[in-house]
Amino acid sequence: MTLSSIIWTVVKILIVVGFIVNLSAILTWMERRQSAMMQDRVGPNRAEITVFGYKIRLFGLLYPIADAVKMFTKEDFIPPNADKVLHSLAPMLSLFPPLVVLGVVPFTDTLCLDNLHEVVQKNGVVASNWHFFSSWIEQPSCSLPGAKNFIDGCCVIGCQTAGVVHQPWAEHFGTCPANVAPGMIGAIHMQVIDFNPGVLYVFALAGMGIVGASIAGWSSDNKFSLMGGLRAASQLVSYEVAMGLSIVGAIMVYGTIRLDEMTRWQGDHVWGVFVQPLAFILFLTAAIAETKRAPFDLPEGESEIVAGYLVEYSGMKFGMFYMGEFIEIATSSALLVAIFLGGYNMPFLHRDGITIAVGDAVVWKQHIPHILVILMQAGAFFGKIFVLCWFQMFVRWTLPRFRYDQLMKLGWRMLLPAALANIFLTGVILIAFDRTGTEFQERMGVVGDFVNLATAIAITFVQLWIVIGFFGSTQPAIRRNAFNKRARSAGEIVEKALAS
Amino acid sequence: MEPTDYDIDETDLELPAEPMRLNMGPSHPAMHGTIRMVLELDGESVEKVDVQLGYLHRGFEKMCERGTWAQVFPYTDRLNYVSPILNNVGYALAVEKLAGIVVPERCQYYRVILGELARISDHLTCNGAMAMELGAFTPFLWIMKGREHIWDLLEEETGARLTHSFFRIGGVAKPPRPELKARVREVVDAVLLILDESEKLLLKNRIFVDRLQGVGHITAAEAVQYGFTGTVLRATGVAYDVRKAHPYLVYDRMEFDVPVGTDGDNWDRFMCRLYEIRQSCRILAQACEQMPDDGPVNVERPEIVLPEKEAVYKTIEGTIQHFKLVMEGALIPAGEVYSYTEAGNGELGFFIVSDGSGTPYRVRVRPPCVFTLQGFPRMIRGHMVADIVPTFGSVNMIGGECDR
Amino acid sequence: MPQPLVGSFPYDKVKGTAVPKPTRTASEQGYVSEITKGIAVTMTHFFKNTRAMVRGERPDPVVDPMSEGITTLEYPDQKRPYPERFRGVHRLTHRDDGSPRCVACLCCSTACPAQCIYIEAGEYGGKDKRHGYERYPVKFVIDELRCIFCGYCVEACPCDAIRMDTGVHPVPYDSRDQFIYGKNMLLAMASQAGKQKHENPRAEPPDADYGPIERLAGHH
Ligand code: SF4
Ligand code: SF4
Repeated sequence: MTLSSIIWTVVKILIVVGFIVNLSAILTWMERRQSAMMQDRVGPNRAEITVFGYKIRLFGLLYPIADAVKMFTKEDFIPPNADKVLHSLAPMLSLFPPLVVLGVVPFTDTLCLDNLHEVVQKNGVVASNWHFFSSWIEQPSCSLPGAKNFIDGCCVIGCQTAGVVHQPWAEHFGTCPANVAPGMIGAIHMQVIDFNPGVLYVFALAGMGIVGASIAGWSSDNKFSLMGGLRAASQLVSYEVAMGLSIVGAIMVYGTIRLDEMTRWQGDHVWGVFVQPLAFILFLTAAIAETKRAPFDLPEGESEIVAGYLVEYSGMKFGMFYMGEFIEIATSSALLVAIFLGGYNMPFLHRDGITIAVGDAVVWKQHIPHILVILMQAGAFFGKIFVLCWFQMFVRWTLPRFRYDQLMKLGWRMLLPAALANIFLTGVILIAFDRTGTEFQERMGVVGDFVNLATAIAITFVQLWIVIGFFGSTQPAIRRNAFNKRARSAGEIVEKALAS
Repeated sequence: MEPTDYDIDETDLELPAEPMRLNMGPSHPAMHGTIRMVLELDGESVEKVDVQLGYLHRGFEKMCERGTWAQVFPYTDRLNYVSPILNNVGYALAVEKLAGIVVPERCQYYRVILGELARISDHLTCNGAMAMELGAFTPFLWIMKGREHIWDLLEEETGARLTHSFFRIGGVAKPPRPELKARVREVVDAVLLILDESEKLLLKNRIFVDRLQGVGHITAAEAVQYGFTGTVLRATGVAYDVRKAHPYLVYDRMEFDVPVGTDGDNWDRFMCRLYEIRQSCRILAQACEQMPDDGPVNVERPEIVLPEKEAVYKTIEGTIQHFKLVMEGALIPAGEVYSYTEAGNGELGFFIVSDGSGTPYRVRVRPPCVFTLQGFPRMIRGHMVADIVPTFGSVNMIGGECDR
Repeated sequence: MPQPLVGSFPYDKVKGTAVPKPTRTASEQGYVSEITKGIAVTMTHFFKNTRAMVRGERPDPVVDPMSEGITTLEYPDQKRPYPERFRGVHRLTHRDDGSPRCVACLCCSTACPAQCIYIEAGEYGGKDKRHGYERYPVKFVIDELRCIFCGYCVEACPCDAIRMDTGVHPVPYDSRDQFIYGKNMLLAMASQAGKQKHENPRAEPPDADYGPIERLAGHH
């Protein structure tokens, strides 16, 4: 442990925690505004501060601040018969685990501090000094049999197939150029904790979330709280199982439980969601259940047991639960991104730049300096988290709540068997895949390239669609006075409605 | 090692457990209209429910005995406060029955139109709130937008969104506006479109369907014995609708169906309400076609109906008639009568007694939801705590009407 | 436990149409596909509304409340005029000379079901042209907090002296005494169109065309 590594760890912690805490604050705003847009409302937009006589509203983005002020200044009420220690401990226990889970999630590729301005390849070799005008750089030819192209420091075939034999530099992936000057740090792994348990650590800590909720339920001395706590405990335990088993298939494919290696595998091949679609859905479901939000918000089910284990909390203690919930959304999205959606990888974005290649055919190639690549990766990672959070909001505001027994049935009778089936299926396919020849595996590599291409096209298309749809087209989105203009008689529409 | 196969009584192995008492309400998010339920729970399932009502008791019936016959209308607004027009109609018909009045045709159609609008808003609220309590907030707010259209229209017609106090003995406070028919068609269109859209989120959603189907079941025989009426009865399969069985106003000229369920569970109640909305729209379409565009709205009974303002201002007879009616109230012949109409929740009955004076001697209300509430413990027994929410929602207890 | 009903129901002369049961097709039972469709529906709303917000194309809730999309009235900033029949807070109408049209006949306070109108009647002085013809309200107080806005007072007034067409809804205040509207307050109110005059065609003693009142029939 050198001083600089400690400093870097602190910096990484600040990046992760800063991002996640701020994201959770933004999510509270997003939840309100987004649900408003879905429900034909305006949403909160009136919080304002006056700066030098100007009233600033920022579309309601100031609400999280107002919330914080409110929570801090509210009375901190502890019921007279409550267990005071546990009652105060519970909010901390539910805020802390989701925060530290992110420690093992890599948010960019390894950062080479000394080579920021150069083009660094995957195997830690500096391809060249990047120069704007001479961006087309001759690549060394590939010496492997059958491989034609040399992308990102390795031969196409070598990269696309999982066999280690073809990859002479495999153990160097994610490393930096060797010429690290004395006193420099060189390679920085962009995850806070760089250790082997990976996913196991995630589950160990996610399991802690139960403790907070159930302690809160028990210590509040309220029957509704108790029921909420019990529901939370049983729900989280059930879905923990399905969640853990659902990614076993992914672990088998990736051959690792380290999240950074999983991410790297997805960069080399395709995103995990395309090889493990079922596992993705199962994990998404279980992750939403873990966040205790609709349709799985039974522990809080406000119309049934008032607010469940939150009934007796007020002020900042309630705020901590609330924050913990939103942090959990962000955390589960981050895990989904790292395991299934390619982590920081974007299609065709390699460590040495953009290379659009399908199979042996290189369509376009552009070297990009290391620092820009790292920034793009960070942008991709955090952007994906944001999109997933956005999606989870849709789920929350579209679906009604399960009932307790239905929830258990879904967990134990549907998700669990499906996860087991997925493991079995994955095993069978993996064995079959290993038995096939190199030729087939090469072909699968090409298929993977096509999938990447499709993903890239889809992402571009959606972005263009949003930009053009929002700012380009002149067609108004809302038909004004739509009902009047339709000018149908009530009788007609009634007949239609009855016929359907 | 001791032998492990000695005899143990099965019951010794179980830990002693006693049911948990849980107080739901009177202020609880799902107990709309302040009602209290004392539950005995075995884990999550409900062993016993004790429904305690009366938290919204205001002495409605006693209050009615204080003023004139006409001054009861504002009180009836506060019975079923989701569809006040229907209560207005019910009370007006009861007094008219006692006084032997049949209001002019135009007024009858007007009452039907406003009443059906109120019924739609009642059912929209009930179904929307039920979905909302199950966590589906989005369709609820869409549906509320539809209800908003109806209330806007009612506000334009009657002058108030909720507390209309619009109908009078022998007529109506103000004649229909000329725009009425066009506006009704417009609103019905809008409501149906909104309904179609909201249904997309609910009817095929398995989570929602599972929460409703097979929950809160009651048989037709039990429902009849409890005295259920309205949608809750029809959901069990009994096609009893006062509008069909004992037509009043001009309902006998309307063509409409009575949607019935088969199992009497939450799903059937939900669907019955959805289909009744459509039937109401059908009635509205027909009523708009048949309603005469001009003609009197009040009966020619000067001893009961206030004279035209013009006559009050200009003629001595009008002024005196006006003073007599305002100061003494209309004198309703002595006698007693029971009159019943189909309100939002079922058969809303008014049993009124007159001693011949300008003040009611007795006004007794038969509120439909008291009877449905009696059956509620029967419906919920054996189900889970979470089932109370949709079942109570679909019973549609309205505190103002139930507790009076 | 109610006993099973003996005999048939009394209501079976009407045939009901049965409502459908849930279809429960395979795709519905599998959650995913139907949930995706549902999310598509909400997403459509989201994109439409967000786009309208971003581009400033929101339908104007004041003039177009029936439109699709967001029609929320942002209340204190935007106001929709109340319909013509809306019953707002009361006003007392004026005569040409600005005095209240009210003749203190107590009809309105009698008709009021909430008993929230208090009137103290006074006689005109001996020289006044209306002396002996009618009275005037010395005090006219309405407790707007007790008032239920039923409109009975307007209906009961025989000379169009009280009206509720101000287009002002019941205003919330901080203390109870602010809800007590006195005579001057009520006289100061105007209708939505800004009118304060009454519309009673009956001629009064000071009017030029004041004459005997019409009768529908003569004495017998
Ligand atoms: S509106 Fe009704 S309650 Fe209010 S003062 Fe007039 S009569 Fe009384
Ligand atoms: S406002 Fe009209 S009803 Fe009331 S006292 Fe004056 S004149 Fe009579």
